[in-house]
Amino acid sequence: MSASLIGRRLSPLLACIGLLCIWQAAALVLKTDSFPTALEAIRAIPSILGDHEALLNILDSLRRMVIGLVLAALVSIPLGLMMGRSRAIASFFNPLLMVVYPVPKAALMPVIMLWLGVGDVSKTLVIFLGVSIPIIYHSFQGAKAVEEKMLWSGAAMGLSAPQRMFRIVLPAALPEILTGCRTGLVLALITMVTSEMIARQNGAGNILFNALDMAQYETVFAMIIIIGAMGIVLDAAFEKLRARLVRWSEPDVDIPVSFS
Amino acid sequence: MNARVVSTDIVLGILPIALLVALWQALVTFGYAPVSLLPPPGLVFARLAQQLVSSGYLHDIAATLFRLFAGFGIAVILGVTIGLAAAVSPGINAVVRPVVRVLAPLPKVALYPAMLLLLGFDHASKITLVAADALFPILLSTYYGASMVEQKLIWSAMAAGTPRSQVLFKVVLPAALPSILTGCRIGLVISCIVVFLAEMITSSDGLGHVLVAAARTFQTVDMFVPLITISLLGLILNGLLHGLRTYLLRGFPEV
Repeated sequence: MSASLIGRRLSPLLACIGLLCIWQAAALVLKTDSFPTALEAIRAIPSILGDHEALLNILDSLRRMVIGLVLAALVSIPLGLMMGRSRAIASFFNPLLMVVYPVPKAALMPVIMLWLGVGDVSKTLVIFLGVSIPIIYHSFQGAKAVEEKMLWSGAAMGLSAPQRMFRIVLPAALPEILTGCRTGLVLALITMVTSEMIARQNGAGNILFNALDMAQYETVFAMIIIIGAMGIVLDAAFEKLRARLVRWSEPDVDIPVSFS
Repeated sequence: MNARVVSTDIVLGILPIALLVALWQALVTFGYAPVSLLPPPGLVFARLAQQLVSSGYLHDIAATLFRLFAGFGIAVILGVTIGLAAAVSPGINAVVRPVVRVLAPLPKVALYPAMLLLLGFDHASKITLVAADALFPILLSTYYGASMVEQKLIWSAMAAGTPRSQVLFKVVLPAALPSILTGCRIGLVISCIVVFLAEMITSSDGLGHVLVAAARTFQTVDMFVPLITISLLGLILNGLLHGLRTYLLRGFPEV
């Protein structure tokens, strides 16, 4: 392993430590009860994770998030690919998606709760809705950018339309689709937290906002660290998977242009 | 010929929205959903028209728009500045990259309680949340746009006598503009979503507050009105940004 690679692996860790140090310093300067130092917040983490009920709550949240995300991917990727390959399908769905896009999906929670109750179904549905649009959009872009020539060659070699979709369009659009899934992953976490905060019943979001209401500030900040860490770890894991799946795709645009 | 393709597109596009409203109406008419849970669309749109001329509701819209624009504006300024700086200077890049890598996947809503505790329940905490959420798409697309600028363009500009200090504004910034505007578009939609959520969590005015207040008293009609309003606002703002984009990018090769 070369030195630069070690540097690249370590730099996010260093950034984490740096941010925690800034937090610690800010808390020491401000000195208010409602803003505990980073160390105090970190010390509160084991008591949350050690609590059986809280741990189950957090795992429940994660399970809902994964189910919503997987369902959304199963529906959105085929839809996006078809939109990318057919002009008619694209112009059929595009305006609808544009109308739905700016509506915060977690804001549908109160309405959906009226119909489906406060249980798992409504929360998973909200996550599903929140995640779908970016995945559809990126699959659409990816499928649209597939080179016509490859499709023609495929057709000339006797591939049927569904086969072309599976063997040419899907792999060619995969890098773009995975970018969409990565955005979707972060959105799923956000929607998860907000939906649980609106339907206060269980889950990580509920612990966070209950602690806020009861003025348990260490717990508030400890939960922020836990949820934040979930985001960072899931994103990093997904990035590893992505790199493995699309190793053939061009490498990251990492090199900054210098004009000096 | 071209006009006909466009008009077919419009008809095809309106179809699913019309179908959705028809389905909604049908669910109510045939009694699958009680009116108390799903009010008929006519009632909702009538209420929307009535609300749009009432001063109280307009005040809520104004509060939401103010927070949205303030947060989005901060995100654009910070995002473009940091993105350009990181693309241009390797030193800044070395600091910004890992920090962005850690902060970008962080669910910012989880930080909202901290912002409430630090900045209070007023505008400041909501604007900060909007800015934090809209910042990263803008920053990343600025960075990628600026780092993909062709070196040849920069060399040509310098050969033509552009001083080094001006290369950034005369070559890199315009060349990165399409990418920056794409980032702004994503940031704008995110701002719409986040400002609404922040107002739902804690607020005494704004569209999100209208929804929560209606939900607490089971006024289903009033729950749909703010949702439709934010969708319309998003469409209008998106349209405006698209207009700005066509104006700024006139003369650019196919965007």
